[in-house]
Amino acid sequence: MSQLKVKEGRRKAPLSPWKSANPKKAAKSKKPSEGVASLDHRFGIPFIAPFFLIFLVFGLAPVIYSIYISFYKWDPLGGSTFNGVQNFVTLWGDSDFWLAIRNTFSIWALSTFPQMAMAIGLAVILRSKRLRGASFWRTIFLVPNITSVIAITIVFGQLFGRDFGIINGILGIFGVDNIDFIEGIVPSHIQIAAMITWRWVGYNTLIFLASMLAIPDELYESASVDGATKWQQFIYVTLPQLKNTITFVLVVGTIGGLQVFAEPQQLAADGGSSKQFLTLTLFLYNQAFVNNKYGYAAAIGIAITVIVLIISVINFLITRRISNDGSGR
Amino acid sequence: MRKKTLFRGSIAVSTAAILAAGVLGTPARAADPITISIWTFGDVIQRTLVQEYKNLHPEITLQIKKSDLDPLNGTNMVTACTSKTGPDVVAVEVQYSGYWRSYPKCFTDLRKMKTSEANVVAGIPAGKTALDFKKNYLPWRWEQGVGYDDSVIGFPTDVGGLEVAYRIDLFKKAGLPTERGAVGKLWPTWDKFIATGVKYNSKLSAADKKAGKGFLDNAGTMYAAIMNQGTEKYYKNDGTDAGKLIYDTNPQVKKAWDTTIKATEAGIGTRIGQYTSDWNIGMNKGTFATILAPAWMMDYIKQQAPDTSGKWDIASLPGGGGNQGGTQLTVPSYAKYPQEAYDFITWYLAPEQQLKVFKTYGLFPAASVLYDDAALLDYKDPFFNNAPVGKIYAEGVLKVKPIFEGKLQRAIDQAIGAGLGRVAAKKMTAVKSWAQVIVDIKKVINN
Repeated sequence: MSQLKVKEGRRKAPLSPWKSANPKKAAKSKKPSEGVASLDHRFGIPFIAPFFLIFLVFGLAPVIYSIYISFYKWDPLGGSTFNGVQNFVTLWGDSDFWLAIRNTFSIWALSTFPQMAMAIGLAVILRSKRLRGASFWRTIFLVPNITSVIAITIVFGQLFGRDFGIINGILGIFGVDNIDFIEGIVPSHIQIAAMITWRWVGYNTLIFLASMLAIPDELYESASVDGATKWQQFIYVTLPQLKNTITFVLVVGTIGGLQVFAEPQQLAADGGSSKQFLTLTLFLYNQAFVNNKYGYAAAIGIAITVIVLIISVINFLITRRISNDGSGR
Repeated sequence: MRKKTLFRGSIAVSTAAILAAGVLGTPARAADPITISIWTFGDVIQRTLVQEYKNLHPEITLQIKKSDLDPLNGTNMVTACTSKTGPDVVAVEVQYSGYWRSYPKCFTDLRKMKTSEANVVAGIPAGKTALDFKKNYLPWRWEQGVGYDDSVIGFPTDVGGLEVAYRIDLFKKAGLPTERGAVGKLWPTWDKFIATGVKYNSKLSAADKKAGKGFLDNAGTMYAAIMNQGTEKYYKNDGTDAGKLIYDTNPQVKKAWDTTIKATEAGIGTRIGQYTSDWNIGMNKGTFATILAPAWMMDYIKQQAPDTSGKWDIASLPGGGGNQGGTQLTVPSYAKYPQEAYDFITWYLAPEQQLKVFKTYGLFPAASVLYDDAALLDYKDPFFNNAPVGKIYAEGVLKVKPIFEGKLQRAIDQAIGAGLGRVAAKKMTAVKSWAQVIVDIKKVINN
């Protein structure tokens, strides 16, 4: 939903302010050429068919199948028996499930909000016209995003090592006792959130940057004519203009946050000795691929879907309010 | 939405990797040159021997694919057996042997295979079934590769004889004896081992203590060591395939748990997890003075802490005789080239080859015919202060009693391991943590 909104917003405002808006030209280019108009629009169907076929086979079919097996006690080697809603009843009463929800949301909060602040800050720096080698920096910021999660976990695991980790080393200078970034609940969440932040902050920076570049320079000019400082420009011009993008990043971050898997899995495959960083997807994975309880895992998958749906509805309501109050683009 | 797909991607990738492994791991059926695909972990398959086999059989290519143990013996094998496509040889670790012995349908029954002429030149006679080779191996290790329907599903590679690796220099500094016989006499029992640890720790300087130094690398490792000294673990052999679950009544479990908790609370361990970066660094820095070391770990220590050469020695394990780990090489039922795979296994795990592997990599042979062989008994390792490691491990291994392994042993082990971790991290009291262990085990067993 929100994604659509953002796209609409972008269409209204030209992507970069200095190429801005010759309305006549824009109107002209919108008019389709005769050649295209003469084509039957059904002609497009074969072009998108491969996607839908692949989606059907690898997207929809597994979803339906997992709904089916969620009603079974299903072991790939041992066969399956119909189980009714027992999997869901067990899930409701499974303390690990509630623990996983707690961990997932805690890690989500710890990774999303600081990350967003950092991304906006970095975008402001990247936007600055005085910055040299802008494209170099933009590229560099995307590198963490294409780094293998495994590699990230190994490096962060060493940084956050309890006895010889550099972070504890630095904290030690200030007289802080060594923190166990695996056994502690909050410390382990911080470690995982740090990995996620490191990996995604650059990506979000670029999203914010794109959206900032779309803010017309006139707004800043008139603000500075009115005597606004840089900081005031940021608070009263940039931030309000970014409202939709912030929502977008938040939604995407929430969905991503609900699927955090590789980082905790690499720290400890069982999610820690007290399951202190067992996330929902890791819980699902372990039930299916470690304990061979595919039916139960499918039930967890459906529970995750329901949670995502609930959050999407909340997000939708918030976005609608923002776009209704008139201040958003 | 992009982030969503990427995150989902990580799961999709792992699943895809498994599927791809299933598909790609299968060699295309070529006319003459044959590719035997082998799924393994760690150092079960040694490069030098692979080269040797290549020289013997230029027409055969051995394609080795290494994974971590848990995905390999778990998901990957389950997927391969379900889809009936996969490698020609799979290494199954003993912790998973109980599980896979209950699925003999996933393996080729090696009693029905006969060696071909292929390795006659290398000393493997033709026309021999698995039962003809049985006498070469330690009987209880052989049993770990026998399916519950009596089919032979795998040949034993090594036996993880368990002893104590200790640092001579650190023992000297703490005023403890350093000669391996005298060191072994320090701890005839586990209680004495704990007492030695307390004594060692009391000699540490305040600075050392602050730096997290201690006697043993991780007290939690004692659990498996004590457990394997018994005759039963979580299952009782009651004549049925699956066995009867006795994890909550077996006194050996309680004893192993209590002793480990006692060691943990006495603080003899450094709480460094094994195979972490801290562990590797600690090995070099002398953060801990002892490791409960299975034979196969010797090579790991050499790799990780080459500068400590000569500072280590090997003493016998408290309680006498220990075992941890070991692997079976199996031929899956879905193998493309079962004959070639069987020929490879019978050659690779023949006593001559096992002796070579022991000398190069320290994997202690499961081929018990070697145990009175002078080549093994006289073998000394300079890294471990010229300890006669062959003799020490042979003596220990012969004291080990056979244990009936059950289907979900690995999962139960993991639940108990987590429980010990909670106590070590002071997240729970021992009593509470044990209660949680029982809850966790029941969750795995039920539904």
